Amino acid sequence: MIKRTVTKLSYIVIYIVFALSPIASHTLGKDIDTQVREIASLLMCPVCQGQVVAESNSELAKNMRAIIRKQLEEGKSKEEIIAYFVERYGDSILGAPPPKGINWVLWLFPALALTAGTVIASFFLYRSRKESKDAETDITEDNPTAVEIEYIKKIEKELKEFDS
Amino acid sequence: MKILGTTLKLLTFLIILLLLGLFGYALFGNRATIHPSPLLGTEAPDFTLKLFNGEKLRLSDLRGKAVLINFWASWCAPCREEAPVLEASWRKYREKPVVFIGINIWDDKDSALSFLTRFGGNYPNGADPKGEIAINYGVAGVPETYFIDPTGKIVGKYAGQLTSEIVDYFMEKSLLGSKNTAVRENER
Repeated sequence: MIKRTVTKLSYIVIYIVFALSPIASHTLGKDIDTQVREIASLLMCPVCQGQVVAESNSELAKNMRAIIRKQLEEGKSKEEIIAYFVERYGDSILGAPPPKGINWVLWLFPALALTAGTVIASFFLYRSRKESKDAETDITEDNPTAVEIEYIKKIEKELKEFDS
Repeated sequence: MKILGTTLKLLTFLIILLLLGLFGYALFGNRATIHPSPLLGTEAPDFTLKLFNGEKLRLSDLRGKAVLINFWASWCAPCREEAPVLEASWRKYREKPVVFIGINIWDDKDSALSFLTRFGGNYPNGADPKGEIAINYGVAGVPETYFIDPTGKIVGKYAGQLTSEIVDYFMEKSLLGSKNTAVRENER
């Protein structure tokens, strides 16, 4: 009985360990190199053309990565480290512009463009579909098209010639 | 159908208007806001610099004096051009409550010392090998110069080669101290 309970308990412990391991690895398992890289990839290198700090080999970028590492070791959060650089270099240091002021246009423009594109495309699809539907309903025996009229005329003419 | 047509025209008009607005902002917008130095008008970050002569210099010990901090490197051509200007300006202002500090960055000590011997820089000079002081000031290139008033506030930043007129202009602002408002950074 006791043996069975111990076995059951050990199964439960193993299950809990396995179940919690992804959460643990997500929160604690990120090594410092990954964290440095993550933060450095959010910051633009001030002396480079369109390169983030994580990718640049410039002296300044190396120094910046060292400062990120040092601040992480001091226990500072990602947000605090980013704020440190923004306080010194301004918003232009950020890889993505913060959603404020004129920057809202940059954030909203893709959504607006997508909406406008969808509306315009829907309109044209609706119109072309309606036109083809109208054309279909127009073609009846009582209401022949111009081509059909031409064709009928030709047949009538040939029949007359045949009769005569 | 007619309503849809009108909506479409209105939408196209709005999109064109928005694009023109963005284009106009890019052309005529306040470009100074693109690269402002957020540190202007704020207290200068304190630091202790180990000078090439072995002494240590702490910025906070210089309260009551106007301070010029010049970030430089031996491989930087504009730094060579401005070195004699800085030397001359230092001689001009040294009788006044003014301190010039040279901070060598992204360099090696031998090259830095050879530079100082060749191009001048008799005012306190030291190295910032880890670039910590430079980053604390938001330095993004060399030469870059910061002007601090006697109360310890940054009143000016100049990115690029200095001339004696530029030094005079900013030194005047620095010496005026707190009466003066922050001077906008020049365009790089």
